[in-house]
Amino acid sequence: MLKKTTVNQLSDLASALMEKGTLVAPVREDAGFQFREITDAKRVDLNFHNTVISPKSVFFPQTEDFVRYRTGRPMQEAEPVEPQGKPLILFGVRPCDVKSFEIMDIHFSGTGDVDPYWQARREAAAIIGYAFDLGAPAEPEEFYQTLGIGAADPEGSDIFMVRRGDDLLLKSITGKGEALLTGMGGLAGASADDEKFFDDTVAAGRDFKTRFTCVDAEVITKKLEDLFHNTDFWEKASNACLSCGVCTFACPTCYCFDICDETLFQQGTRRRVWDACMFTDFTLEASGHNPRTKVYQRLRQKINHKYSYHVRKYGVISCVGCGRCTRYCPVNIDIFSIVEEAMKA
Amino acid sequence: MRSTNPYIPMPVEIVKITDEVDTHDIKSFRFKFLNAEDESRFQYLPGQFAELSIYGKGESPIGIASSPTEPGYVEFTVQRAGAIVPGLVTAALHDMEEGGKIGLRGPLGHPWPIEFLEKKNIVVVGGGFAFTTLRSLVTYMLHGDNRPRFGDITVIYGARTPGLLCYKDELAAWEKRSDIKTIITVDKGNETWKGREGFVPAVCKDVAPSPENAVAVICGPPVMIKFTLPVFFDLGFSKENILTSLEMRMKCGIGKCGRCNVGYKYVCSDGPVFSLAELEELPRDF
Amino acid sequence: MAVSFQQIEEKLKTEARRLLESGEVSLVLAWGKGYDEKHPMPYVAKCPSDADGIVFNEYCTHNPARYLVRYPRGTKIAVAVKAADSRAVVQLIQEDKVKRRDLVILGIPVYGIKNPKTGELIDGKTTCGLYNPVLYDVLIGEEVHGQPVSSPYAVLAEYEAMDRDARFAFWKKELDRCIRCYACRKACPMCYCDPCFIDQRKPRWGEKSPEPAGNLMYHLTRFHHLAGRCIDCGECSRACPVDIPLYLFHKKVAKDCEEMFGQAAGMSIEDKPVLVNFRMEDSDKILE
Repeated sequence: MLKKTTVNQLSDLASALMEKGTLVAPVREDAGFQFREITDAKRVDLNFHNTVISPKSVFFPQTEDFVRYRTGRPMQEAEPVEPQGKPLILFGVRPCDVKSFEIMDIHFSGTGDVDPYWQARREAAAIIGYAFDLGAPAEPEEFYQTLGIGAADPEGSDIFMVRRGDDLLLKSITGKGEALLTGMGGLAGASADDEKFFDDTVAAGRDFKTRFTCVDAEVITKKLEDLFHNTDFWEKASNACLSCGVCTFACPTCYCFDICDETLFQQGTRRRVWDACMFTDFTLEASGHNPRTKVYQRLRQKINHKYSYHVRKYGVISCVGCGRCTRYCPVNIDIFSIVEEAMKA
Repeated sequence: MRSTNPYIPMPVEIVKITDEVDTHDIKSFRFKFLNAEDESRFQYLPGQFAELSIYGKGESPIGIASSPTEPGYVEFTVQRAGAIVPGLVTAALHDMEEGGKIGLRGPLGHPWPIEFLEKKNIVVVGGGFAFTTLRSLVTYMLHGDNRPRFGDITVIYGARTPGLLCYKDELAAWEKRSDIKTIITVDKGNETWKGREGFVPAVCKDVAPSPENAVAVICGPPVMIKFTLPVFFDLGFSKENILTSLEMRMKCGIGKCGRCNVGYKYVCSDGPVFSLAELEELPRDF
Repeated sequence: MAVSFQQIEEKLKTEARRLLESGEVSLVLAWGKGYDEKHPMPYVAKCPSDADGIVFNEYCTHNPARYLVRYPRGTKIAVAVKAADSRAVVQLIQEDKVKRRDLVILGIPVYGIKNPKTGELIDGKTTCGLYNPVLYDVLIGEEVHGQPVSSPYAVLAEYEAMDRDARFAFWKKELDRCIRCYACRKACPMCYCDPCFIDQRKPRWGEKSPEPAGNLMYHLTRFHHLAGRCIDCGECSRACPVDIPLYLFHKKVAKDCEEMFGQAAGMSIEDKPVLVNFRMEDSDKILE
């Protein structure tokens, strides 16, 4: 089903979606665009390229409470914070970020123990994807084409949006999307011409140019395994690295977390908090032993985790080429260049 | 129905504390589940571990020292950790008394491969307080129902001093049994010590267990493992038949938090039990 | 600027090659090629041929002095520095983190460095605003004179007009969006504590989750740890992925220090760190 509205009526669309559940959409903030829970429909803003922090934060927030407790009280009195699955609409997600959910699903709910917090939010959510603007060049950091992701791929979205001039075309991709679209007022029917435009955009998105290098999952895995003990390679790659956590926090597929007991005046919360393999104390053991004291070991861990370990464990590369890690790296370390170098090795 | 959320610990009560060593920094804690359904859900095998959980302090992954053949409780042997990084959980636990309540999350990880061990001669090699999951394994195998499933059982266990041997009463009981060969050694004895002296790797070489249809299960401090593995390899044990258990900083225990990987394996959910053959596939450092 | 970026780059390459060839130093800290011209990156040359990889252009904002403490004491290092970067070297020498005798300082007078994110000229607003390095062994190019010199503290006018409550509200709002990636402290040449107080587990000074109380604890403590030490290179603010204007607080503290003790951080290796050094004539204003 294809419907349409205009960008001028965006806040009406947002209002209609807010009736269906919690709406999370891009808003403009001092530091750039971020996905935020919408309370004022007028704040939804689609004039963005991409958000600073990826939308993983919607399903896997930086801080997730597990248990509330009081110190000094019997442990049975602690209250678990059970996963919440209230209806949620995640609006305006770029195709590469939509792809990241599929990769994260494998880890959080597709293999081994199921992470109930991720799963509850994921199942309760409808994803409304949004094609990149094919009229403008890709940002220099982006390389999703390398990972086989088109600039207008609707896969993974429940509804997919394409902008046509001042019109916004919305097409249902899944049953969930169709139900959502059917139940919404204020949308106009689309013409056959719109249908063609939508399909043409999706097709053109596949050829849309971002940085590109030939990366085969099996090949890069093998290359990285061979490079593992090439300290020279990793030292060169990490000479500039500051060991901060920007790249992992901004990344849509980084999922490492810490579990912390945070107590203030006897009131405490056990919660998970994003962690970063780039931090020095990430692997520091209680004995004082730390297997990764050097910067190159930590950067090697990150690249290997995404392009080798994840492939060996789950069969897919854990990167979608969104370019955030490169864009926000304070010293311009570029994962694409490292992967490109590794492929040449 | 109670939550099956893997991040929420189950409440347990300390019913018995045993001071294991003369330095008093290693104690065994016996726990009873406060909820019957938690107890029935906590189905484990030797080699698995659990997160001991104290709100306000955090969690600490500890191998299970009791055996499923010992119903009604679950037991852990815990060292007060943290000369450099404060071991908040283990310190708090050591300061608790019988009747105290903590949380337990598990069982976690893969057990010693019991089916693989069946019908084989088992050589159990342990050092210091890392003997915990081996104590579980030996107790499991010695249980009347299980003993016929295994061939000869040899235990080689060492500690730095006689006072640092854990489970002293049980060791004495094993030494009296005819269906298990027990060799106890200490690095350095004292005036009352009448047993063997010598490092574990040297004792293994001396005892020279036959590799014939045999599996070596080895757990101990890294330096002991480092020198013991080659001994068994030289004795003719294949890499598939040398098993050990790894330690790494862990948080979630269920393969989600991304912390304990060695190569593409997570120590918590893919291990902690690995064969030497599996370990050799992984990078030498990580 | 009389000397072009291109000329500086050539001179840097030549010097680096010479120093590595002669064995005077075992590494040169400078800038190298990034993923495009707008994004050069800190670079380490370890052999003469590495010198070809050195780049210098208007986007070389990074402070190479940040990397000095990464190498073992006694390593002979040549470090390329712009004006503020040179102050970091001086301050590190004052604090005995590096020895003067182990360094060859390649000083680069430069005007016209730009922030690649905003395209804005980097001047006294977000850095110390100097054009010439305060200390060098080799001058790369020519000293810059005749360019407008702006006070590094002029930008504080608006901030200083706020009363205490307004300032607290300002920082609370700015720091609320901190995601605790620690890019600020990691980009800072003076943040070399290991472990940083915020990572200590016992006592726990601040929680790991990015919530207002912990964010304030982290940043306010860090601001004060840098009192009299911040050399105003502005790297913390440029490193921040959520654009928190950290430079404002650092500048305010630097200004207070300078007014009270008559000394700015990292200007002379003869100085002692201002809050470490007690002098009878020191101002008592800090006690008021």
